[in-house]
Amino acid sequence: MIMIRSFKLSPVPSTIALLAGLSICILAAGPNARAANSGVQVQLDVKQAAPRQVEALTVRGVARDYRLAWTSMAQALEFNTLDPLVGAFSGDAQQWLGQTVASQQQSHLSRRYTNQTHEVEAVFYAPEGDALELHDTAQYQLQLLDGDKTIDDERVVVHYVVLMTPGADRWVIRQLQAVQQF
Amino acid sequence: MMLCTAVCPVFCGAQQLQVPASAVAGQDLNLTTAGSGRGSFYLLGPGISRKTEVDLGEPIDLAGQDLRNAGEYTAVLCAGSCQSARFFVIAAKPSSLTFLVHPSRVPVAQGDAISGVAFSFDPYHNLTRSPLNIRFQLGFKGTALWARTVRTQNGVAWFRANSWKSAGPVQVAASSDQFSTTRVVQQVASDPCNLRITGQHTRTGILVQTEPVHDCAGNVVSDGTVITFTATGADGKATVDAPIKQGVASAQMKSAGPTVISVASGVVMGNEIHLGAQP
Repeated sequence: MIMIRSFKLSPVPSTIALLAGLSICILAAGPNARAANSGVQVQLDVKQAAPRQVEALTVRGVARDYRLAWTSMAQALEFNTLDPLVGAFSGDAQQWLGQTVASQQQSHLSRRYTNQTHEVEAVFYAPEGDALELHDTAQYQLQLLDGDKTIDDERVVVHYVVLMTPGADRWVIRQLQAVQQF
Repeated sequence: MMLCTAVCPVFCGAQQLQVPASAVAGQDLNLTTAGSGRGSFYLLGPGISRKTEVDLGEPIDLAGQDLRNAGEYTAVLCAGSCQSARFFVIAAKPSSLTFLVHPSRVPVAQGDAISGVAFSFDPYHNLTRSPLNIRFQLGFKGTALWARTVRTQNGVAWFRANSWKSAGPVQVAASSDQFSTTRVVQQVASDPCNLRITGQHTRTGILVQTEPVHDCAGNVVSDGTVITFTATGADGKATVDAPIKQGVASAQMKSAGPTVISVASGVVMGNEIHLGAQP
């Protein structure tokens, strides 16, 4: 479905700009502090996962790491920094996210993801537990900014196909691909 | 959409942007604009964030290079006000498989011991979700042992298979019409079978030695597998762990009187031998 909408150019109020600047300072002081209170909501349903059943501890780990990954991605794309992506993403996902941040830095654009909710369903769990495919119906407020001007601001619903694999101490996202429908 | 009714020296309103519902990764795309004057065009998607100045009313050409990553893209056209449109780039045709096979070493003749998972990707490393038939095949020294065709679901297909009865490298292949990926699983002998020992007195004690150690299918058990010898005599019990070297394991044990010696490897027991007192 094509979604077209109009939006009036509006500079970000100075107070918001001030808060954004303050956030950068907080991030610089302690990058992990923000991840803890990101407000990203993740609901993970593993009933349909096959051929292997997802163990309870794995469910908790995947939900935690998926939430952390989205928190990290939101930080990276809002503040145009690669640091939050380290550890949460790998492979192709890490590559295109790195490209995105680099091109945003070049063009002075940024994206702000807020009020995220993710309804995630595990659809495939490899026999040996080394790969997990998720379907995520994500809802969030997405703001696109050119410098301090908002050029688009809308509540979107996006379907993501996600591949995660276990890393040394966490589950990492290797593929994060938006699709029209599952 | 904000209409511009006054004179607009640089930006002129009434701009319109039309995008297709979807496009294919790596292929050029044209977006249609309407209006007059100049505007700012933004394209934001996976791997790209770009701003360019455009002439309203002229098409906007997007190169395939900019649309390599499948996913959702947002196009924004601003001329006084901004209009946005979203479209999807879908994966191109499958061109490769990512193939995970477990384990790398497996004992022979085990049920459901080998498993494999194949994901299909397009040339730009996007997961392809259109169904694709993947043929999984196990081969040993040029002979096909097992094969099965599985249709991908959500971009993934998988299998489980028994390990073959002979030790050695087994080729595990996943293939489609135009591409194939192979992995190797090393099959090793299973647990020892018919473990048998012989023993004799020597000047310093008792020398015990296994016959060549095989599994139940006749494969030579790998060197390094630990064999446990236990000697029970009047002076108590002594245990020696010895690794197999060149197919056999041996141990020197101290015992002067009558001794019963048994052998085991893991949970597999072998024969017992009874040796009399040292002459």
